[in-house]
Amino acid sequence: MTNKIFRRTVVLCTPLAFAAIGIADAQTIDYGSLEQLFSEAVTTSATGSPQRATDAPVAMEIISAADIRRSGATDLPTILSRVAGVDVLTWGAGGAADVSIRGYDSPYSPRLLVLVNGRQVYLDHYGYTAWSTLPVALSEIRQIEVVKGPNSALFGFNAVGGVVNIITFNPKYDQDVSSATAVGGTQSYGEVNAVESFKLGSEVFGRISGGASQSNQWTNATTSGPIDPLFYVNPYRVATNLDTIAQLAPSTQLRVEASYSLVRQSDVEPLYTYTDVLYRTESIKATLTSETQFGLAELSAYTNQLNVDYLFGSGPTDWTNAIDVLHAQDLFKIGASNTLRIAVEYRHNELPDAPIGPGVIGYQVISPSSMWNWAATDKLSLTSAVRVDHLTATRTGGFPAATPFVPGLPSVAWPLQSNADFDRTMTPVSENFGLVYKATASDTLRVSYARGIQVPTLIELGGIQYLYATGSLPAALMGNPQIEPSIIKNYEIGYDHSIASIDGTAGVKLFSQSTDNMTGNPSGSNLIAQPNFTLIPGVGPFPTSLPGIGWANVGSSTLKGAEFEIRGKAADHWRWGLNYTYTKVEDEAFAGQNLLADGIAYDQTTPESRANFNLGWVEGPWTADAYLRYVSSFQMFSANTGNLTPIDAYCTLAGRVAYQFSKSLKIAFSGENLLKSQQNQTAGLLAQRRLLLSLEASW
Amino acid sequence: MQMIKPRTVATGIALAWIALAAPPAIADPAKDVQVAARALGFLENAPHGAVVLGIVYDPGKPATVAERDALMAAIGSGLTAGDLTITGKPIEASAVGGASGMAALYVTTGSPYSDIGAAASGKKLLTISSDKACAQSGACVMSVVTTPAVEITVNHNAATAVGATFKAAFRMMIKEI
Repeated sequence: MTNKIFRRTVVLCTPLAFAAIGIADAQTIDYGSLEQLFSEAVTTSATGSPQRATDAPVAMEIISAADIRRSGATDLPTILSRVAGVDVLTWGAGGAADVSIRGYDSPYSPRLLVLVNGRQVYLDHYGYTAWSTLPVALSEIRQIEVVKGPNSALFGFNAVGGVVNIITFNPKYDQDVSSATAVGGTQSYGEVNAVESFKLGSEVFGRISGGASQSNQWTNATTSGPIDPLFYVNPYRVATNLDTIAQLAPSTQLRVEASYSLVRQSDVEPLYTYTDVLYRTESIKATLTSETQFGLAELSAYTNQLNVDYLFGSGPTDWTNAIDVLHAQDLFKIGASNTLRIAVEYRHNELPDAPIGPGVIGYQVISPSSMWNWAATDKLSLTSAVRVDHLTATRTGGFPAATPFVPGLPSVAWPLQSNADFDRTMTPVSENFGLVYKATASDTLRVSYARGIQVPTLIELGGIQYLYATGSLPAALMGNPQIEPSIIKNYEIGYDHSIASIDGTAGVKLFSQSTDNMTGNPSGSNLIAQPNFTLIPGVGPFPTSLPGIGWANVGSSTLKGAEFEIRGKAADHWRWGLNYTYTKVEDEAFAGQNLLADGIAYDQTTPESRANFNLGWVEGPWTADAYLRYVSSFQMFSANTGNLTPIDAYCTLAGRVAYQFSKSLKIAFSGENLLKSQQNQTAGLLAQRRLLLSLEASW
Repeated sequence: MQMIKPRTVATGIALAWIALAAPPAIADPAKDVQVAARALGFLENAPHGAVVLGIVYDPGKPATVAERDALMAAIGSGLTAGDLTITGKPIEASAVGGASGMAALYVTTGSPYSDIGAAASGKKLLTISSDKACAQSGACVMSVVTTPAVEITVNHNAATAVGATFKAAFRMMIKEI
């Protein structure tokens, strides 16, 4: 505990200490001014350097604040589902969903790294994002940057399917963000939230938000019957977020962000069974950005604390996961054509074992990285990024006591009884290379290669200790300290064309991806520790230590795909967009592995096609938008039977109509899943039609 | 049902693409000066509030006079961009050496760039043009083109000569020569 407090104090106080000594002139990036200057969205997610979205060397989309407002959605997965190539599995009410980019979606989807202003909100303990726990209000989001494909050379491991970086309004530059919203609807949905910008004196700028929502769960029905009522809960969410910028000197800024969220919902966990989950998250982050003679330097530190209580079929399991991150970077230009970014990051991450203690698994990571962007000519630019993650995993504490299974016979010991068995070092390398060729002012060609790293989660490495006592042969469910990172390689070519006659763009992308060392769920074929036996007279061979089962690298997978998108505007009132993404996945098991038994069937659980069409209209105080989504048929492991179950192709329709009474008052009527009262979109609870009425006041 | 041949589909897509091709770009003085004003906000020690932008033209060249008129009309009685409110003041190219009270000069296309650049540099006045050639020649600090897309070019040597330094984030998003 003392070490933890000391480490967090050092991590969080480092930027504050530099601020106190007045390191230099500091400026955060003013997205709004840059966006107005260039008449297009600006991003830092592609290279770490501010760029116009059309200059980014990766496939990415930016969802603007206006898009979010006009979506009619109350949660992020619904908004993301309308982006080309994004798959969303929605498990129930309250935003319990898993999101992936270009296939491989699954319960507790680990391949998409999610950040809020660069702070990881992806949960490292189990390797997924619980979207409802994100503490920001939708109305305080400036833009959502969706990067497709691996980008772990910039953001670190687990950014393998893509990255979602949520950028909130800047407390200093966007002082006009204040609003209050009340929403009510079917399924007893109720939500209130408020965002208030404030200024303390002339040098401190802030924004605070808070909100709460609750609803009834979807009707307890799946195509294979109801789920166990034990895991069927009505979801609720409470969250608050504070974001401040202090102007310490004429050009020196310090940004401090703090958040809290409390969420309860019915999730589906990686073995495709429902679980009742209670999340509590806390975070604090400090960032000092300095414009020095050596470039734009940034020093940031944050700590994330997660307390999560799962009610699995095996019983309750509570984890607490603490992450501390210290990050330093410098972004600078050499000459007129070269932009470089050098960075180093330290991360400490630990997780006490559960449901049986004692013991703590953790790792420390030192990650140097670099990015080089070379504007070779007016038309051609090349970007190269490399990151090395040196991860050292260790385990401390004791092990579960030996368990008596048969009265009168010796107790059976827990396997791997030495902390040294869990010592692990890995040094994976992430790479991103991109070429952007602007043939004309209207035509852009992108070619890219990426090598991304998905590291084993803390649970996979040893954060779980559970005794399977069912049947005559007990076993230990445990982490696998020898599991290898998954390596994801992506090759892509894309072409975008601006079309003045429709005031829009069209683009096509072709991509090929491979995943090596896919991780499979615990199964009988993933034996981590062999049981030891002794011969007991009159009894025969009797185990002295339990067999250990856990996660393992079970195979590889390839994906090939294409994406097409066109969007435009018409007659000052209309906007429209159409996108279609095709993916074809093929899995291959390692020798001796049965992927189905490991809960892996991406080639069947990934739909081949998904498409979106949206149409929007604005006239005076009226705004209307409609969103049509199509997903082709696929299969999914049933939440009740565990067997692969066909999910028929489906279409969904969502929409919103809003009327602006005055500059400060707006009313909106919106709906989701409008085509059917209930619909089978996963092998879990049937998705239900929802109608909402919202009233928003802004000032 | 008769199958559609892939070649037919490809030809159709190609024809549609050609039909949707962008028409030739036409300069928009109002947009150019708006962007130029916003770009001034990314200077270190950027000007704030009400400032005067000198519109430099050559009375012997009707095209520069026409651009001057278009720019003055776009600015009107005051053009607000970010936290700047700009008013315009026409200046003949030969009078730049005597100009005063201006935040920057906007050099109309076709004016005598080198003479204007030399005079402005002597007065430490930042120069902007809609013609990339002005920045490429080093006579202007910055060129701003807004059609079909915003393209900003900064001449590093010209900027240094007038003591202009742009913020790092801005520099990373423009072309520097």
